[in-house]
Parts: sequence; structure tokens; C-alpha cells
Amino acid sequence: MEMAQRPAETKLTKPAIDWRGRLLDRAPFLVACLMLALIIGIYGGLQSGVFSLDELNLDTAAAMTLMLAATGQTIVLVRGGIDLSIGGMISLGTVIAATRFTDNPSTTALWALVILALGFLIGALNGLLISLLKLQPFLVTLATWSILNGVAMIILPTDGGSVPGWWVGFASAQLIGLTSPVWMLLALLLFWWWFRATRVGIAIQATGSNEKSAFLSGVSIARVNLVTYGLSGLFAAGAALFLVTQTGTGSPTIGKDYILPSVAAAVIGGVSLFGGRGHLAGTLIGAFVLTLIGNLVFVLHVSSYWQPVASGVILLLSVLASSVAEKAARNRVQ
Amino acid sequence: MDLVTVKGLSKRYGGIVALSEATFSARAGEVHALLGENGAGKSTFIQILSGAVQHDGGSIMVDGQEYRPANPDAAQARGIAAVFQELSLIPDLSVEQNIWFRHEPRTLLRTVNRGEMRRKTLALLEKYNFPALRPDQELRRLTLAERQIVEIAKGLAKDPRILILDEATSALPAREAEWLLKLTRQLAAEGRLVIFISHRMAEVRAIADRLTIFRNGSTVAAHEADAVSDNEIVTQMIGRRLDRLYPERVPTATDRIALGVKGFSSGSRLSGVDFALREGEVLGVGGLQGHGQRELFQSLFGATRASGTIELWGNQVSISNPRQALTGKDGIALVPEDRRGQGLLLTKSVRENLTLSVIKRFTENGLLSRQKEAALVKEMVDFLRIKAGTPEQLAGTLSGGNQQKVIFGKMLLTQARVLLLYDPTRGVDVGTKREIFQLMRDLAAKGYAILFHSSDMPELVHVADRVLVMRNGRIAATLEGDHISEEEILRAAMLETKAA
Ligand SMILES: Nc1ncnc2c1ncn2[C@@H]1O[C@H](COP(=O)(O)OP(=O)(O)OP(=O)(O)O)[C@@H](O)[C@H]1O
Ligand SMILES: [Mg+2]
Repeated sequence: MEMAQRPAETKLTKPAIDWRGRLLDRAPFLVACLMLALIIGIYGGLQSGVFSLDELNLDTAAAMTLMLAATGQTIVLVRGGIDLSIGGMISLGTVIAATRFTDNPSTTALWALVILALGFLIGALNGLLISLLKLQPFLVTLATWSILNGVAMIILPTDGGSVPGWWVGFASAQLIGLTSPVWMLLALLLFWWWFRATRVGIAIQATGSNEKSAFLSGVSIARVNLVTYGLSGLFAAGAALFLVTQTGTGSPTIGKDYILPSVAAAVIGGVSLFGGRGHLAGTLIGAFVLTLIGNLVFVLHVSSYWQPVASGVILLLSVLASSVAEKAARNRVQ
Repeated sequence: MDLVTVKGLSKRYGGIVALSEATFSARAGEVHALLGENGAGKSTFIQILSGAVQHDGGSIMVDGQEYRPANPDAAQARGIAAVFQELSLIPDLSVEQNIWFRHEPRTLLRTVNRGEMRRKTLALLEKYNFPALRPDQELRRLTLAERQIVEIAKGLAKDPRILILDEATSALPAREAEWLLKLTRQLAAEGRLVIFISHRMAEVRAIADRLTIFRNGSTVAAHEADAVSDNEIVTQMIGRRLDRLYPERVPTATDRIALGVKGFSSGSRLSGVDFALREGEVLGVGGLQGHGQRELFQSLFGATRASGTIELWGNQVSISNPRQALTGKDGIALVPEDRRGQGLLLTKSVRENLTLSVIKRFTENGLLSRQKEAALVKEMVDFLRIKAGTPEQLAGTLSGGNQQKVIFGKMLLTQARVLLLYDPTRGVDVGTKREIFQLMRDLAAKGYAILFHSSDMPELVHVADRVLVMRNGRIAATLEGDHISEEEILRAAMLETKAA
């Protein structure tokens, strides 16, 4: 039998690692880190006590609703889609919580589970519709957003209701000096570290990177959509459950405040809108950036309308950074 | 007994018949070549076998059992893996993640076991003597040839009983292609069935035990390889006789320099290239793959940045993007290597692909003349014999070779007179190859200047007037007249430069 010989010119020695390429790949994430450092720096210069555990606890609590919503959004973006319906899900979650939670822990726990399950199911439904009808995710989730919003309005037409004090207290519960939001932050990172290394996580990323290739490799696109949007709905429901610890009440309209910021946080953190690329660490940094901008505007004693202006500028800057890096990287491979 | 038996296989796409009543049978332990013109239905056939599309009629038996895979997974479960013509790789995953995609070894936490995956990757690459690959490199950083090799590794990782190679050699440089041919024999000797599709007769001759010929979606013949001549095969493939592949080489070069290049450098890939391409000349560019040929073509077209001077028809020009290259009546046009990535808009029609970049030519007083456009499109489609249902068929649904023809046509419609042809016959059937070579000579006679690279060395030898051999980003030798031969090209490509 004739054995295939290795082509003579090629050697099995390892070529040098392409450090510049790797750096360029991570440029958007590094830029986000830089921005965060800068904002914290300015904030710390203007306000005393910024570099403390208390501040970390406070800011994380302030950012956590967005972080949860943006975690789901990140999964969807990596899949190459977008989920607008999280706005409706968050609103719906808060009104169900505000009208159903009681002082009885087991009733409340049951309803919390119902909200989470609902989040997953509605999200999965989004995924199903996208696959079955072969429709744009933008359109499908726009429609479900509107529907969920309507349902929330029917349940609770105006802001109101309340959740029990012990549920509100959850957000300030402490363990070794860190409050529960900080622990949740760590849990999110742990989840991501695990999830993106599972076969499902890889299949989602691969489908976002090149759907046709993923299909040819045997991926069931319908299942990927189901899981992706299901998880997004689940995290939106989680965001609603956390949000009521901050507001104490339900609101049928509050969810819309998280739709675009969840996308912005991810993009600032280097997640590609075209799918296939991005990490949760970047998104969480992006969420911090967006939250701290609010603090900064506050301590600068300027009109709070400067906050969206500053957020927009930061978004533009990070999009610019990633496109510059992308171009540089492309020029190198060819 | 036959491992695969196919009877009456049919497949339509709307009004287009891709396969009609095709038959096929092959045994374990053989290399079975599948031959046919562009658009004959070869890829459709293997897509059905590998579960990527479903057939409308007919039956497939594997191991004497009915076989009708609903998706690629079902095919893999029956031991059938395909190396697809359009590649099934994920740009944002690493080489090893691509190889084991969906079959990754896992830890107790259900996450990918990276250590195990690396070990298995190296073992696989070692077992079949793969050319050097970095397992951790991201796929989108690789060249087309390297990707093709990864796709082959991915097919083999499934340890299939039937491996299908759809034009897998067409993206490979000579040495890697040779390796793949030996590998194919080795796989057959291991008792697997390898179904091998290629437009290169020499390859088919070197490795095939048996062959099946498709024409217009039907099987026209099946042969034992040593019981049939090349001529008979070609005649059955294209339905007529083909006298010779290469046109006569009548020198038509004038003294006028069309493209003068001096001190051309780009990063570490190109270092000081000088040459002059004359009006009416076909200038070949050869050498081992990865010695700057791609960079040379890309940067002459302005797709990659480079330093040095370019003189176009005697005037110094600076070309920093393709728009500038194409500008004017006598500009520079490129047939790129990665047709799906760079040349074609897959979701646009054949007509749009042909005319989008030259839309000005059909505009009169600001109005688009559909008639004029239709006439030119028809002319081009007929001239290149592009096999499309109508000019409105989406480019992405054409067979591989027909996609290549569309790119060629698109370039011909620009009014460029310096043509950069990077592997223009890749994936093109013999009949069309012959037409393309003839076309190149005709264009040269009309005063076009052509820079021509081919991964198939005999093409350079038989078509080019002169051949530049590249080595380490430089021109190592310029071969002329009787010195143009495969041996001379290889010698110049591999040995230290000596005066030519
Ligand atoms: N999705 C599709 N929609 C419409 N027509 C298609 C589609 N896929 C293939 N076809 C048509 O089916 C015919 C057979 O194509 P196929 O890709 O099987 O040819 P091939 O023998 O592989 O050719 P080549 O050698 O050029 O790769 C072609 O005419 C092609 O245009
Ligand atoms: Mg084909």
C-alpha cells in the first residue's frame, strides 16, 4: 500500500503565533475596558469613595437588570439575530410579579418560576416562528414585543402593585462583603464560560458565523433558534425578577428602556452584529459603561439629558474602533 | 457486492432539471471517479448522498438497505461524509473546532475537552500526513487551499465508510494535490469507498479504479478505468469530440508595455517584484504556492496595499483600490481566487452579476436601456455557454464551474485591457477550459495584456508566452521559449536562484 507522503515543502513546525492579529481581534473588547477605566477614573476624581466595595455593590445592583437582559441579547447576537421582544417580556414579568407575589414564600417562588418558564417558552416561540416562517428576527420579535406589551397593559394598566419586602431585600443580601448582584455577575461569567464551550453553545456561534456551513455540518437550525431565543426570553424574565427588587412595583412599559441598551452594551463590548463573534465579558463591561455614564452625568451636575448623548457617542466610538480593527485585520490576511 | 447502488435518481429545482434518472454503483475499497461537464449534476448527486438536499424520485441502496437521509446528520450516521465544493467550514471557529464540529470530545461538564481535541487533531493530521496546519488558528485567517485541507480533515475525522471529494484538488497547489491523490489511494486501500469528482483528467487517470460519466443530469456511461481512453471519456462527457485542449501559441506580443511593475513590495509576502507585461502577451506566473502569487495579483488590482511603482500603458498610476484599477477604458480587471467570497454576489441573478459593475454602458441620457443590457447578457451567456435556466437564475444556485464562467464574463464586460487571471479554469470542465484558453489567445491577439496564474502547471506551460517563477516574494526566474517546461518551473521554484 502506498502511504500518502507529506508534501515536502511543508514542515510540521509551528509557525510563530500571530500576536498582532490576536490583539486586533480583541481590539473592541480592549477599547471597552479602556473606556470603563477612563469613566471610573473621572468618576473617582470627582467623587470620593468610588474605589470601594460599597460602590462596587451599588453599581452592580444598578447595572444588573441591564446585564441580565444583555446576556440574553448577547446569545442572540452571536447567533446572528436580534431580540426586541425582551422589552415586552420584562414589562410582563414585572406586572405579573407585582400582582401575584404575596408574603407567602412558596406562592411567590411558584410565580417566580412561572415567570421564568413563560420567558423561556415565549422566547422559544420566537425561535420557532423565525424558523418556520423564515422571517427576519427583527420582525418576529417586534411583533411579540407588541403583543407582550399589550398583555402587560391588560394585566396592569398603569405602574403599581408591589412585591414583598423580603424579595426587595434580596438585592442587598450580603455574603463576605459582596451583595447578591455581585455574586450574580460572577455567576453570569461562570455560566458563559461553561455555555460557550458546550456543543450547543458552539453550534449557536457557528450558526451565527455561517448558517449554510452549519447546516451542511449537520446542525439543526430550527433547534438552534429555539434554544437561542428561549434563553434570551429566560434571561429577560430573570431581568424582570431582578428589576422588581429595585423598583418594588410593576410597570407595563418599563421594558422598552432595556431593548436598545441591551444591544448597545453588547456592541460596546465587542459583540458583532453580524453574528459569530463576541463574549459576555465584553457585554458586561458595556453594561457597566452605560450605567456609570449615568452616575458621571449626575456628579457633573449637568442636565440628565446628557446621559443618552454620552451613551450615543460612546456607542459610535466603539463601533468605530471595531471597524478600524476589522479593516486592519482584513488587510493582514490577504 | 456493491456498497452503493443508485437507480433512477431525479432532482428538479423549479423548472431546472439537475438530475434525471441517474444511475450509479460503486464498491467498497475503490476510488470511483464521477465525471461530467459543468452543471451535469455531480454536486447535486453528492448533496443528495450526503443528506444536504433530498431527491424527488429514484432509489438509493447502501449495503443493500434503502437509504434516504433527511439531513447531513443522518448521512453521517450511515458512515457517509462529504468534502463539499463550497466548503462547510465556520469562519469564526478554529481549525480544530472545525474539524470536530458537533463531534467534539467532551468533559464531565459537557464542555469541549480541549486537551483531548488537540490530541485527536494531531493524531489525525499525523496519521494521514497532512500538510502543516495550526490547530488553534481561526479559520478565517487561512487561505483557500488551507481551508480545503481543513475540510478534508473534517471529512476524515468522522472515519467514514464512504468519503466524497467534490473537486477537492481544484483549490490545492500541485504538491498538496499530489498528497491528496496518494491519500485517496490510501483510503481506498483501507477498504473505504472514495467518490472522487475532478475536472482534471490526469488526476482521474492516476487514481480511479472505475468511473461514471454524467451528462445533463443523466448517466451516460460507467467504465473500468483501464478499459477506456481519454478521448472516449471526453467525448462521452461533452457529447462531441474535442481535438486538442491547448490552442496553438501564436506570439502576438508587441513592444509596447502594458503593465510595467517595479520594486513591488507588500509586507513579508512580496519583496521587490519587477516585470513588464506587454500588449498582446500572455504572461504566466508560476512557482510553489504561497510564494507571493496571490499577493501580487491582489495588490496589482488594489485589493491589498503594496509599495512600488506601476506603469499602465506608459503612465505611472497609483492603485489603492479596485475602483481605481478598473477605471478608464484600458484599466486592470481581476478574476479572483475565492469566487464565492470575492467575485460573485450569490444572491443576485446572473444578469446582475454580469452587469452591475458596468451599468454605465447601458445607460442613455440617464436611463437604463434594458434591451441593450439583455443583448449583452445574452451574448456573454452564449459565448461562455453559461448553463443557467434564465439570466435571472441566482448566481448562488449555479454549478461551481458556471459560477466561474459568470466571473469571467463579468470581467470581460468591463473595458479593462489588462487582465489578471488567477486560476481562471479552476473547477471548469475540459470543453470550457479549451474555450477559455482559446479566448485568452484571441484577446491577446486583439491587444489585451494577460497575467495568468494557474494551479495546474501544464496550463502555464502550454498557454503562456513567458513564465515568471516566483519564490519568496520575488521573481526567481523568467522562462521563455523552449525553457518553459514543468521541470524548469519546478527547478526555478525550488532551487536557489541562478541566472536564467
Ligand atoms: N439550488 C438550486 N436552484 C436552482 N438550480 C440549481 C440549484 N442547485 C443546482 N442547480 C442547477 O442544477 C444543475 C446541476 O448543478 P450541479 O452543481 O450538480 O453541477 P456539477 O456537475 O456539480 O457542475 P460543476 O462541475 O460546475 O461543479 C445546474 O444547472 C445548476 O444550475
Ligand atoms: Mg459541482
